Amino acid sequence: MKIDIAHIAKLSRLRIEPEKLEKFETDMEAIVNMVDRLPDVTDELTLDQDHPMHLREDVAVEHKFRRDEMLSNAPEVQSGCLVVPKTVE
Amino acid sequence: MKLFEKSAAELSAMLQKKECSAVELTQDVLDQIAVAEPQVGAYVTQCEDTLEQAKRVDDARANGESLHPLAGIPIGIKDNISTKGIRTTCSSRMLENYVPPFDATVMQSVHCAGMVITGKMNMDEFAMGSSTETSYFHQTHNPHKIDCVPGGSSGGSAAAVAAGEAIVTLGSDTGGSIRQPASLCGVAGLKPTYGSVSRYGLVAFASSLDQIGPIGKSVKDVAMLQSVIQGHDSMDATSAYRTYTNLCDHLSGDVKGLRIGVPKEYFGDGIDTCVKEAVFAAIRQLEAQGAVIQEISLPSTEYAINTYYIIASAEASSNLARFDGVKYGYRTASYDGLTDMYEKTRSEGFGDEVKRRIMLGTFVLSSGFYDAYYKNAKLVQRKITQEFQQAFQKCDVIITPTAPSPAFRIGENINDPLKMYYNDVCTVTVNIAGLPAVSVPCGRSSDGLPLGMQLIGNAFAEQTILNAAYSYEQIVGGFHVIPEAFCTGGANA
Repeated sequence: MKIDIAHIAKLSRLRIEPEKLEKFETDMEAIVNMVDRLPDVTDELTLDQDHPMHLREDVAVEHKFRRDEMLSNAPEVQSGCLVVPKTVE
Repeated sequence: MKLFEKSAAELSAMLQKKECSAVELTQDVLDQIAVAEPQVGAYVTQCEDTLEQAKRVDDARANGESLHPLAGIPIGIKDNISTKGIRTTCSSRMLENYVPPFDATVMQSVHCAGMVITGKMNMDEFAMGSSTETSYFHQTHNPHKIDCVPGGSSGGSAAAVAAGEAIVTLGSDTGGSIRQPASLCGVAGLKPTYGSVSRYGLVAFASSLDQIGPIGKSVKDVAMLQSVIQGHDSMDATSAYRTYTNLCDHLSGDVKGLRIGVPKEYFGDGIDTCVKEAVFAAIRQLEAQGAVIQEISLPSTEYAINTYYIIASAEASSNLARFDGVKYGYRTASYDGLTDMYEKTRSEGFGDEVKRRIMLGTFVLSSGFYDAYYKNAKLVQRKITQEFQQAFQKCDVIITPTAPSPAFRIGENINDPLKMYYNDVCTVTVNIAGLPAVSVPCGRSSDGLPLGMQLIGNAFAEQTILNAAYSYEQIVGGFHVIPEAFCTGGANA
């Protein structure tokens, strides 16, 4: 199967350097050809009845973290806020 | 014999009898790190306060406080487990400077037990790989043969135990990432039942398959550490509701009447002859102790790798979407608008293997392909699980090789993703079905490299597989984990 790497990369918010494009394409096609080999199971997916997920109660919890702690790993901070590129004109 | 050469169980007894102190033990491990680390490269980050941590344990013992058996034992932590105040990189440029503001639940347990944290272990970037070659920082080498890989993705964790650079370590296993490096480095490693160890604070790769687990020199070490980290956690919605017993208290080497299943699909053409022979020899030794051996069949095994790479990559593409250069982690230096920032940040922050998996995941989930790939893989997953359930009506333990070959040379497979993926051929089914499995050393190849045997159990049957593994360990007179070159009196001592 032919894979359009540039398109998949765009969907994945990735960019592939032009010199690596061919290798990525060859590898990806080989991988997709590999995973392609699956039996046709004609059935429907159902939730696991034996192990239902236990949801915890929807209650407010106290803040565990301080603002400065949470922001200490941020790439760019101004006046206690995260800085991002302008998104609305 | 120096302290770093001993098992956690032996050291625990010595510490309790005050035959050595936690500071002495920690200093011994630090000395060994100084000798071995330049050759092995198991660590991404070494903690600077290890001796202070050890001193606190010694002080507590001197004050007559009641301590956990593992108090004072040096432990290394895989670098995808969040450690408060200690850099957690996932061996990625994306998280090169990330310092978590919180501890993973397993770290809270490790702290409560009073263990001494030596540092953070190298791994394949975001746990994607089977050789630790995809780490952004450096290659980890196999202590048994320096030009060979330690396996992966928990390669640093396994290599550190094999080189005496930590007494035990924590790893994580999504498709074999604890068991395969344990096999290649000649140590013991347990992938626990899905849901038995909290994933809170484990940086997510494939959430429905990931599980944290212990690596150690012996089955008892692994049982001791697993007993510390297992348990229900309300912070993990997939954590199982059940009570757990201490796995060491019931560790018995008795396999009389134990029904061992040997699935023929795991001994096919792709498995090296030396591996097959070693595992069959071990099975015969267990049979001689009274175990009952029967051949079984798990026919859907041939689809396991395909199923695994679809499900794991699909979940990875979604999980790794959070790395966008906004809240934490790497951000590109210059950009023009939001989309440009996302794309440049992610392209510069992730390595090629991570990009490949994100793109594979995006592809199998994309419109028009979802049913053929992801949905079909989920249905095959159910089939694989059902086949295991049927097999466990006839047997108590299933034995297979852990890895298809001994450690391979660094660089040998890195440019061929399919060859690399094949390393997981014996281990992925266990994650797909959510079962527990332990890998233990099982003989050597003709050139002296360790081989591994995998013992798979039914869900939450950790005790059963550890007992069988413990029996084998006793039959062979214990595992001699640290290669001579890294022991006292060895070439590097």
